[in-house]
Amino acid sequence: MKIVQSIKKFLSNIPMAGWLLGMLVAVLIEYFWGYDYISYYLGLPKIPVLFGAIIMLKDPTMIPGALAYDLVVYVLPVCIVGKASAFFTNPLAAAMEKLPLWISVLIHLCCFYGILSLWAGINDYRVLVVKLTLISIILTISINVINGYQGEFSCSHPGFMAVGAYVSSVITLFLFANDKIFGAAVLPPSLGPWLFPFALIMGGIAASVASLLVAIPSFRTRGDYLAIISLAFMFIVKSAVENINVIGGARGMGGQPDLAPLYVIFIWTMLCIWVIHNFVTSIMGKALNAVRDDEAASESMTVKTRKTKMTAFMFGAFWAGIAGGLFAHVLTYINPGMFSINRLAEILAMVYFGGLNSIVGSIVGAVSINILGEALRPLELFKWIIIPLILIFVMIFRPYGLISFREINAGKLLAARKNK
Amino acid sequence: MTMVFSSSAFCKRETVIKIGINAPLTGDIPKVGEGTKYAAQMWLSDIEKAGGLEVGGQKYKVELVIEDNESKAESAVKANTKMISQDDVLAIVGPQSSKQAVPAGEVANKYKTVMISPWSTNPDTTMDRPFVFRGCFLDPFQGPVVANFITDEFGFTKAAVLYDVASDYPKGLAEVFKDAWENKHGAGSIVAFESFTTKDTDFSSQLTKIIQSGAQVLFTPQYYNEVPLIVKQAQELGWKGPVVGSDSWGSAETVELCGEACYGQFFSSHYAAAGAKGATKDFIDRYNEKYGYIPDDVAALTWDALRLAQQAIQDAGKLTGRIDKDRQAVRDALAKITNFAGITGNMTFTEEGDPVKCAVIVKINDKGEYEFYKSVCP
Repeated sequence: MKIVQSIKKFLSNIPMAGWLLGMLVAVLIEYFWGYDYISYYLGLPKIPVLFGAIIMLKDPTMIPGALAYDLVVYVLPVCIVGKASAFFTNPLAAAMEKLPLWISVLIHLCCFYGILSLWAGINDYRVLVVKLTLISIILTISINVINGYQGEFSCSHPGFMAVGAYVSSVITLFLFANDKIFGAAVLPPSLGPWLFPFALIMGGIAASVASLLVAIPSFRTRGDYLAIISLAFMFIVKSAVENINVIGGARGMGGQPDLAPLYVIFIWTMLCIWVIHNFVTSIMGKALNAVRDDEAASESMTVKTRKTKMTAFMFGAFWAGIAGGLFAHVLTYINPGMFSINRLAEILAMVYFGGLNSIVGSIVGAVSINILGEALRPLELFKWIIIPLILIFVMIFRPYGLISFREINAGKLLAARKNK
Repeated sequence: MTMVFSSSAFCKRETVIKIGINAPLTGDIPKVGEGTKYAAQMWLSDIEKAGGLEVGGQKYKVELVIEDNESKAESAVKANTKMISQDDVLAIVGPQSSKQAVPAGEVANKYKTVMISPWSTNPDTTMDRPFVFRGCFLDPFQGPVVANFITDEFGFTKAAVLYDVASDYPKGLAEVFKDAWENKHGAGSIVAFESFTTKDTDFSSQLTKIIQSGAQVLFTPQYYNEVPLIVKQAQELGWKGPVVGSDSWGSAETVELCGEACYGQFFSSHYAAAGAKGATKDFIDRYNEKYGYIPDDVAALTWDALRLAQQAIQDAGKLTGRIDKDRQAVRDALAKITNFAGITGNMTFTEEGDPVKCAVIVKINDKGEYEFYKSVCP
């Protein structure tokens, strides 16, 4: 433990800007020398795709090589560059503190995106994993509004996702793709990227309107009843789509134009984090927490409980619809079976694993469940034993998830660090 | 953004032929994944005995990359992306079910990598995708085969259908069968067209309707996890007629779970294990010896798909070591293959990458074996 503490102390004066610089150097090392030199001399067949996790499980003889690769390419450069550059990144961070917070956040995010896209660009599989992880982040944060901040137990998220996915797919197929259902494209495909946000937002709005189907009857009740009604809603959506042959029924609907490159998904994810963060820290968010803790008391303290609950529910559903739309355009194929009980289990696992009532928690939950799911892929059946076990342990030791009831303080996160 | 790797003099990596296997090892139909994996491992051991795969006079080492697609569409897409971009596979065999093969085929085609789906019967899998092939016939062919067989064999005019509305394959095939049947016997000759939803286990209300409708035969294009339930419940409710199925019945598990209730029933399939001859018999015997059960059609089709891939790689003439060029060469060679002698029948590919091949009508005999009954050719 002493070692850990001394390492912590040693790295404590690196500001976020320093960490980012370290990551940039690590990614550049991988980009220029990863394939030709480092992975070759360590006896690896290729650059390890997810920090070597997959290759280690597939072929145990590769464990030393993969670990050495991680050390040489990621750990050492990040720490060394971060520490060595602290003398000028700290003043830089201090100078950025004088700017308005949003500008400083934007600068950091742009740098982070650059690093992420460089890292992912080495391999298309990484791109796909990052895309799906970002979409999971949107889903997890949006369900956290309902299940965490509002304290309900809603199971209808896959249904909202399906509504968003189908509505936005219908719009883009109708406008920009030549397909079997709607015939030739109405508009030139070059307009696609510009009008894609419109299609997504329509999907989101459709999802929030659909959420009224759950909200209106069930908010007269509490607790378990909402869970049952929302679960029913999910199955209704799935069965409805299965029986509508115009949009493919059980066959699914394919051929969506590929309108969701990494930067689009990244922007939407950041937008989602920002908007939801503002929502839950606003008066409305506080009212939500009040409703969660004691509905009768908050009603008597002039909180319009019904309106508050409705708004939050529709808001969460809206973002689930957006996530569904992005998901449909990443896979360029959707079928109703994707938005069923499996998806629900995944979403609930992410939100309860990460932590209720916390945006950071949701991000941690979404990223860890996604990366775990990919990294443990070679274990086949055992993967489905290990992940639930991890979940069970988290629930035993941290009943509200890993990081719950905590918010990000962007200013503090990006600030300059003093030498202690 | 793409990377161009400098192939400097001292960075010489050995060229290894990698074949990707995208199979449902976990999820709803693990038996299908198991058959796929076993057939692939058997194929690999043959190659290894021969000391590698000979292409253009040079022997190459062959590796299998087996990925689990969890019976999920997005997982199949991830697995394909990983195998193509990370493992540099030369060709992919799989996924088996259409609901994974359709989206995975999109990925394979985008990255210009040959993909052969052994078992997917949905036309969309290969439609407008030059790099995607399949090892089996299509639903629009299978439906009429079954309709004609029932008519010729039993002389029935009234049929009932029970299918899963939430699953791509049963639903598609049920509709094709209905059209074929009504073309033969006129409108209204399908007296009951009943559906249920995946994971349902109680079919009594649908079956009661079917029995009351006066149907003479029941067609149910379901998987091995539902067929035993349907057949047993139908007989308990007093159904006396035959129950006819499709190639999804062909799994080894169907009879395991169904027992005597299924004896004497017919289904259409890709090959029949009992009474097979020649290369087909060799394959069945070897598989049975190694894994302790008779291989189902999935395993046999996977075997054929792998041998097709092997043939195409050998026909490509030589490997340059540049994966994109080699993939293109393999694709071109595969499209040219004619009259390939597979264990599930001879194959020649159409423009779309679909084989023209015969279907087999299989009878489940009194020992619970899948016996060849007759073969129907296009």
